[in-house]
Amino acid sequence: MERRDFIKKTVTAGAVSALSFEQLFAAAGGSKMVMGATPDMVAVMGGEPAQMLAKALEALGGVEAYVKKGQSVVIKPNIGWDKKPELAANTNPELVGALVEACYKAGASKVSVFDHTCDNWQKCYLSSGIEAAAKAVGAEVLPANDESYYTEVPLPNGIKLKTAKIHKAILDADVWFNVPILKNHGGAKMSIAMKNFMGIVWDRQFFHSNDLQQTIADICTWSKKPALNIVDAYRILRKNGPQGRSINDATVLKSLIVSRDIVAADTAAIKMFNQVEAMSIEQVGCIAHGEKLNLGTSQIDNLNIQRIKL
Amino acid sequence: MKALRVVLAVVLFVPLALFSIDFLDWLPRSLSWLMRVQAVPALVAHSLFIILLLALLTLMFGRLYCSVLCPLGVFQDIINRLARRGRPNSGKKRRFRYVEPISWLRWTLLGVFLLSLIAHRQSNVAVTVLDPYSNFERMAVNLFRPIAVGINNFLELLFKMPFYHITLHTITIWSVIFAGVVFLGVGVTAALRGRLFCNTICPVGSLLGLLSRRALFRIAIDESKCTHCGRCTRRCKSECIDFKTAHIDASRCVVCFNCLDSCKESALGYRNTLLRRAAASAEEAATINAADGYVAATVLPARLSRRTFVAASIAATATLPAAGRILPAPAEPHSSKLTPITPPGSMALKHFTAHCTGCQLCVTHCPQQILKPAGLQFGVNYLFKPHLVFFETAFCNYECNKCSEICPNGAIEKISIEQKQTTQIGIARFERELCVVITEGTDCGACSEHCPTQAVRMETYKDTLRLPKVYAELCVGCGGCESICPVTPVKAINVVANSVHQPVQKPEEEETKEIEVNDFGF
Repeated sequence: MERRDFIKKTVTAGAVSALSFEQLFAAAGGSKMVMGATPDMVAVMGGEPAQMLAKALEALGGVEAYVKKGQSVVIKPNIGWDKKPELAANTNPELVGALVEACYKAGASKVSVFDHTCDNWQKCYLSSGIEAAAKAVGAEVLPANDESYYTEVPLPNGIKLKTAKIHKAILDADVWFNVPILKNHGGAKMSIAMKNFMGIVWDRQFFHSNDLQQTIADICTWSKKPALNIVDAYRILRKNGPQGRSINDATVLKSLIVSRDIVAADTAAIKMFNQVEAMSIEQVGCIAHGEKLNLGTSQIDNLNIQRIKL
Repeated sequence: MKALRVVLAVVLFVPLALFSIDFLDWLPRSLSWLMRVQAVPALVAHSLFIILLLALLTLMFGRLYCSVLCPLGVFQDIINRLARRGRPNSGKKRRFRYVEPISWLRWTLLGVFLLSLIAHRQSNVAVTVLDPYSNFERMAVNLFRPIAVGINNFLELLFKMPFYHITLHTITIWSVIFAGVVFLGVGVTAALRGRLFCNTICPVGSLLGLLSRRALFRIAIDESKCTHCGRCTRRCKSECIDFKTAHIDASRCVVCFNCLDSCKESALGYRNTLLRRAAASAEEAATINAADGYVAATVLPARLSRRTFVAASIAATATLPAAGRILPAPAEPHSSKLTPITPPGSMALKHFTAHCTGCQLCVTHCPQQILKPAGLQFGVNYLFKPHLVFFETAFCNYECNKCSEICPNGAIEKISIEQKQTTQIGIARFERELCVVITEGTDCGACSEHCPTQAVRMETYKDTLRLPKVYAELCVGCGGCESICPVTPVKAINVVANSVHQPVQKPEEEETKEIEVNDFGF
């Protein structure tokens, strides 16, 4: 009985998501009008992850502005490494849990969480605490370790990356949230919201061999934009990223940066990072490339930013 | 008695077989004790306690080991059961008869096996090829596991979680061919001739046979009750009961107890022979003479099938090199892969090669699927033994010591996570002129990103570009860098095996930097 129900649900969910794909864009387009009154970016400091998320979402018009009743949601944290939360290699599990809960409160039909990990995926899901936190509030935690989960999509606006194999869960979802952690990164200099896109694709080696900074910007041109970029800066990895060597590489900032504008979110995050370790925006080439591709602005002084201190 | 034997066999075989193909890691690691109590692993690992226990068991009860513990033995019983050979009412052609042992082959193979066991540091290839446990495991890993993975992938299509799709990366042609030959050879022999394999080829069978002929409890025929009807002989899958002389060859009897309930006169019994030793030895001498006479009369058909069997085995073995010629020649290995990378815990190539019998249990259980059975690329002594092969984001996990926990042979010694993290199995070698930072002039750093010990660091090259540099004293040889390096076909960073594993220091912890940030910074 249970199994039958499960199949039914899966099939219906699939059908619904296929139908509402167009609606999503309509909804996203429509909400821009409402958002005129809401800030372009919200930055929160001084609270616990769940508390800061609640404040940020409230300032941005509530999660209901992004997740409609019955919609399926994918949350894409950074779960790249087999590391505990204290080491700041993966997104904060409490933040992910709180976002799952918020989506369900807004009436989401299903919330799924995945990442194409670098270390063994089961170990990453376990050690990061994200699997436990997400499952505890009813999310589905999906594998992303096999090519069969991915489908090729065109990226007409990409410069070097013209197609990419993207995880089907995110293709099928009505809404998705990009939830990176703020980290230093040996190869890409910084790993924030734009770099987090690499976890939705299968063939990452292409990125590395074809101008990493450009391909990171290219993948962000995918037409299905995240509803919000939620940058976890509760703990940041100030050096030896993206894995970190020890707990000494992590610094507690108790902060959160949320914006629809992915370039702005990353720019703000780098500015925050600079208070701990030096890192020029120019070094993080994907920011400039992204701006050129009209993904957003790095001139964040011109934006309406709401800063909240708790 | 028979029911007890069957129950014991099922209770031990099912978990062992499932653990052999447990690619989903659903079963507890502790089940590997089922492998540790196998005869050859115990001999190879010098597990004196288990060796004594098995010897004692056999001296007490006969070759119970072959009937309940050995997975290849139970596998043959299953095949035999499916073929209904020797069952009551199964027709005249499906009955067993008494045959003489093929002694020359039996003792020659045992000799070769023992020689290989003693001289394992020179070559344990005979142990690898003859060990019944390893042969069963190779069948499970190379034949049954792909089927199980196929079923898993089908279920994943239907139900999604908790199933997840698996692409098998650890199937290599030599192991599949050999496992297939063994499967067919042993399978067909089992279907037609019962335990002929165990009493002719298997060195463990021969070895235990030496003890079981002196076992305390043996199946014996009470001649005063025996009517020489031959029912027991027709059911005996070891083909070791000569009903005409009422003699049982205890060295070949695997105490399956099938004969006991076949006897209408209750002439057969599983009896304590200690009290009748003197009488028994006299009896034995007599029966041997009698048996010789019997053999002379029936030798022709028996020899014939024996001859076919030997010819078939030779033919099967002869096809191996032929198959090698048909198969595509493997690509020339890269200069960094001339020596196999052996798993952490194996200590040295020599130790590993001498102790591994290629059971490939670790191949099933490696969560990263980087343990791949070798063919002949590292020589015949490394045949079927696993070596580390890194591919697309699959490398030796820094926090994993699973292979070392389950290896029944001591080829991979048990090591803690801490020990694993301080063992260098190889060293990354950076090929500067192949690196994309040099050739393309773009950022990469994938190797450094994947390094768990900061042994590969990005250091200033020019402008904002940074180039990898290997700090060999920190490298554990996990292959993280090699697996993710985007340069093809030859990677710009490759792990070169350490023939003798070396200790490394864990990266030093730096001092904590207290940082107070009270501002957003923008």
